[in-house]
Formats: sequence, C-alpha cells, structure tokens
Amino acid sequence: MSASPSQTPVYPAADLPDFEAMSDDDFRGRVRRFVADAYPDIPRFVQRRLHWDEVKPWYMALSRAGWICPTWPREWGGMALGPGKHLVLIEEFERHGCARVHDIGPVMLGPLLMKYGTEAQKAFYLPRILSGEDIWAQGYSEPDAGSDLADVRTEAVRDGEEWVIDGQKTWTTLGMDANRIFILARTDKTVKKQAGISFLLVPMDAAGITVRPIRNLEGHAEFCEVFFDAVRVPADSLVGEENQGWAIAKALLGHERVFIGAPRLSGNALARLRHLAEARGVFGDPALRDRYTRLKMDVDDLADLFETYVDKLRGGEAIGPDVAMLKIFQSELYQRISEEMMELAGESAALREPEGGDPKLHAAGTWLAARPTTIFGGSTEVMRNMMARYVLDLPPG
Amino acid sequence: MESWVENARMIVDSAAAIVPADGAIARVRAQRFQLPGFSRAVFAEMGAMGWLQLVLPEDQGGAGLGMRECTALVSALGRGLIPEPIIDALFAQRLLAGRAAPEIMDGRHVAVAGWQDRTDSLDFAGLSSASGRLSGVKRHVAGGAGADVFAVLGAEGVAIVPADADGLQIETAALQDGTFEATLTFRDVAAEWLPVDDADKALDEAVLSQSAYLLGLAERGIDMTLDYLRIRRQFGRPIGSFQALQHRATALKIELELCRATVQRTAARIDAGAPPSVRAAAVSRTKARAASLAFLMAREAVQMHGAIGITEEADIGLIVSGAIAAANRFGSARLHRGRHFSASERSAA
Repeated sequence: MSASPSQTPVYPAADLPDFEAMSDDDFRGRVRRFVADAYPDIPRFVQRRLHWDEVKPWYMALSRAGWICPTWPREWGGMALGPGKHLVLIEEFERHGCARVHDIGPVMLGPLLMKYGTEAQKAFYLPRILSGEDIWAQGYSEPDAGSDLADVRTEAVRDGEEWVIDGQKTWTTLGMDANRIFILARTDKTVKKQAGISFLLVPMDAAGITVRPIRNLEGHAEFCEVFFDAVRVPADSLVGEENQGWAIAKALLGHERVFIGAPRLSGNALARLRHLAEARGVFGDPALRDRYTRLKMDVDDLADLFETYVDKLRGGEAIGPDVAMLKIFQSELYQRISEEMMELAGESAALREPEGGDPKLHAAGTWLAARPTTIFGGSTEVMRNMMARYVLDLPPG
Repeated sequence: MESWVENARMIVDSAAAIVPADGAIARVRAQRFQLPGFSRAVFAEMGAMGWLQLVLPEDQGGAGLGMRECTALVSALGRGLIPEPIIDALFAQRLLAGRAAPEIMDGRHVAVAGWQDRTDSLDFAGLSSASGRLSGVKRHVAGGAGADVFAVLGAEGVAIVPADADGLQIETAALQDGTFEATLTFRDVAAEWLPVDDADKALDEAVLSQSAYLLGLAERGIDMTLDYLRIRRQFGRPIGSFQALQHRATALKIELELCRATVQRTAARIDAGAPPSVRAAAVSRTKARAASLAFLMAREAVQMHGAIGITEEADIGLIVSGAIAAANRFGSARLHRGRHFSASERSAA
C-alpha cells in the first residue's frame, strides 16, 4: 500500500434506496430500467469473456451508480443485497445479455478482505475496487497444482520488511487485464501442505512479473500464465495470518457456492439446442424429441433443486458441502446438451464462426464453452471425492 | 416457519405407528405373497389416524391439508416399504370426496381406485355405461385382491362398486414385491355415477403421491447401500473407500436430491393452485425422475451389494423388488416424458 486513507470515502451507494425493503418484482423492474438506461454501446449475449478495454464502460456505469458490488454492505459502498435480490439482479443482467464484468474484486477479494483484512487494507483496497481503479486477478492454480490446489509451489520468503516471491501461476482468468493479483504462496515447507500457505496481494507492475496469455481453441485469450521472479512486496501485503492462506481461500461466500450451480448455462444451451433443431427442421423427430425432453426435464429439475438452496440462503440457513451437487450436475448437463448440439449441427459443427452469423446455431462454441465448467472452480472429480467424504460419510480412499 | 412444515413434521412422526422407527421390515417380509398382499388391520389403523382423508377439505370430512403434507407422509411410508395400497386408497377417497359410508371413509373397509383403462396410459374415460350399467376393464388396481369396494373412475364421474357386485370379475396377479394387483372386468354392472370435481387434478395428485412413495423407497435403498459401502471389506479396505464406487455413490445422491426437490416443489405448485398445463408438466417431470431414480437405485444397490442384492433373505432384495413393482405404476418415465413435453408446450403457448 502506497497511501493510507485520510478521509472517509464518499460512495454513490450512500444515496441508494433500501433494496431489501422492495418486493422482488419492484426490484426486478428497477434493474430493467437501470439496464435500459445505463448499459453502454458494447456487445450483448457474448459467450466469451470480454476484455477490460471492451467491458470497461459497463464496469464504470455500474461503479458510478453504486451497483458494482451488489453484496457488499452499505458502509463499504455496496448495494447490500441479500441472496434473493442478488439472484434477481443476476437473472435480469443475464436476460438482457449484459456482459460479465471483471468481478474478481467485487465477488471474491472484497468480501475476503472484509473478513480477514486489516483496517488499513480495507480502507485502501475496497474503494479502489468500487471505483474501477483496481482490477484484480486470482492467482491460485499452478502448472503442478490444479485439482490438487494445496500443492502450490510458488514460494514467498520473508526478507526484512518484504516478501520475496518466486514461482508461476497459470489459468489466471483475464490476468492480462488486471493491475493487481492475489496469490496463494508457500511460506512453510516443513508442515502439512495445507498448513504452509499464505495469502498475498501483489501489484502486477511489480518488477519481476511476466504475463503470458494462453490462447484457447477459439483464438481467445481469456487466461494467462503469470511468472514471479524475485518479486518483492511489502510485509503488509499479507492477508490474515502467515500460513492461514488455505483457510482464507476456501472461505468462499455461501451464496457464491450456490450461484455457481445455477441452471442458467444449461437453460440457455437448451434454448440453443431447440433453435438449432428447429432451424434444421428436425425438432418433430420423435427420437430427438425424447432426448430433448430428457435434457429439458433435467434443466427443470436442476432449477427446482437450485431454488431449494436459494430458499435456504433466504432463510439464513448454513450451506453445507452438499451444495457441490448443483455445480456437478449443472456442468455435466451443460456438456450433455452441447454434445446433442454437435450431433445435430452435422458438418456445420466444424465451422469456426457461427453458421450464418447466428450465435445460437454455433454448436462448437457451446461445446467448447461447456468444457471448462467441469474443470474450473473445483473439478467434478475432486468435488465428487469431497462429497463422498463429507456428505456421504464414506471411508477415505 | 410456514404452517405446512410443522404439519408435515407431525404427520411424518405419526407414520412411526406403521413404519417402525428402527426401520425393521419384518412385517413387510411376512406379508409377501400372502393374499391379499397387505394387512387389513394396518390399513384400518391408517384410516383411524385420519390419513385417508388428509387432503380432503374440511367440509368433506377431511383434514384440509395440502400435497406438501401428503407427499411427506407417503414418502415416509415408501421408506418403510409398506405394502398397503395407500396411494390408490388416497385416490379413491379424493374421488369419493366424503360421499361414502363411514366404514369406507375411515378405512375399516378398504376402498381403492379403479381408474386405468390401458397399461402405461393415463386414460380413464374408457368404460361404457349404457343406462347406468358399466362395461369394460380397469387395470393395475393396487390392493385389488383385498378391497371391499372400488371407486371406479370414468368419463361421467366415479361409481362405488362393491367387490362382490354382480357382473364384476376380479383377476389378481402377484407383483415382484409380493403384493397383488387386480384387473377388474365389468359386464353390465349396476352402478350410479357421482360427479367428480376435476378428475385430472385428482389423477395428477395420485401420480405425484406415487412419486413421493418412490422417493422414500429409493432413499431407503440408497441409505442401505451407503451403509454397506462403509462396512463391507474387500482387498483389505472398506469398498466405500474406492473412488470408482464413491463417484457412483455421489451420482445416486444427486439423483435422490433432484427427485426430492421436484417432489417438494411440485407439491407446492399444486398447493398454490398451478394451472392444469403447468401442473401436468411438473407432475410428469416428477414422476419420470422418481421412476428413473427407483430403477437406478435398484441397479446400483444390486451391483454394490453383490449377488445378495437379488435374494429374498436380504432386506436390500426387498427394496429392489419394491422398486420394480412401484416404479412404473401411474405411468413409466417414457409416458411421462411425452406428457411433460406436450404440457409444457401448452403452458408456454
């Protein structure tokens, strides 16, 4: 931190109404009007992530209105939405095809700092997320620490009033757009691997950092590798206690663990499947109809299970490890739908660009977009291991 | 807390009178293939507890509760694998709507619904009734071997037909789980139609109740299978420590919770007065899920238990046979997929 706050910042959120006091319908109407008024002239309904130069106008519009951090409390400049209203907000943004902003700061780091950060860290970093001054990246995965995340090798060694960081992160989402990154680094090699990890905040322009974009099969660079070569950061870059990093990283908000299993991706893909089948004139085929209906019922059943969890959130109930079910089922269902699309598309499945410029006919795009959902945010295999252990109480392997 | 939650809890607690708290299914085992396939005494006890009138409005002598409470109860009974024809009896009471003799209403006499015209179909209007005399066939009548009267559903309404009525022929067939169903053949049987208020809705409620029974049955089978994975040792370790089996077990759990969510939320939809096409789409989706779950549970239970899973002496064998006997009642998953599609197209239109 180069500066300490000299005064209490003024947030637009201070003038916002109490959204939680509104009915869901009233709030939904308000979100619609907001999108109609404030959404900038940038693409909608894009399957890939937009880069900062493309999506910045939307981030800044949200920031100016005090809407960029929906779940943060008012005292820190958030909208103070509960899970139910937050879901309405997400649904309406999706319905209107609003691009996803760079939300690692608002969604992950902000709540984490509120819980584990020092007063100085909160006062410095939180306003900069709200204003769009800081765009954060998450540096967790490494070449040899993927599903086995606790096996991070990137090392931070204390040298006087500084940490010296060496190592490599990978699959850093939109890392090339970020000006700051939070990382998990090994600070004790003598203990059980989970017990020797610390959580550090690092500016991306620090000497010794190199970024290399990773291009996916569609030619987009949504991820990158970040290399650390004797990168020095001040001692107060540590969040929480030394060697407490694993616990901090695991403490993702309860409702984010629910929302990651929302049925929207599958539901949108199902609509594209139907659109494709109708465009091919085969939607009346009884065999296809039966397979489509199986997938549709899976989407609807998932929505019922998802709503059950949302009800728990609304009622303030704790969310247990069983919530992993939502993401496991959602991501695999999304993939099954994309597989049906590939078969239906026939030879056109091979096209790089959407057939006839219609993104809803783009089977390969859906198939590729569905792949990482079973890998990121906890691979399906690891989540099944965790469920077996902590939900089903099966013996350790 | 919403009142139905407390109601449902009390009713499920009361199910312990019929379904032993320790989960013992000795009574179920003893009843297997003994005509009529269920206990009239237990049936009467269920009636005495007011279960048969659970969802009837209070002005029809019922408890005025909803499908959320009803499915909670039936699911608990499914967990206990009870052989009494509770769903067909509830359906009968729903059709009769308090217009029957007290001993029929309170379960001292067994009344079950005879509604189904054809196998794997929800058609019920097929009986002909020239000048008040019924002719035709009703199939797959649960508890038909021990019923005193049948609530026969047709296009004109419901008719109360005693089992010993002239012209009624009852053919019974043993089912996989040791209960019996009946085929009712009517030849000029004298009967009087009573009007039925919304027979389609009553049938949807029965389909949903069957789904709830399957949910409870599958949950029981999954619990027993998980227990077995924890204790059965091979290669020097509990077989539940093997990742291949752990991942299959999580798949079972996910299917189970999807089914529970659809049963509960569809019951809530009906209680909230969902329009017919929305109701039919949700009920058929639920029944398809429940039938698939029951078959999946049965396959995995057998595979994970080994060959003991297909023996009579093992409790899991009884659960498996119960799943086979109950999964397709009130329509297979195939039937309900088709119905779901049509109904959702209607409700989207």
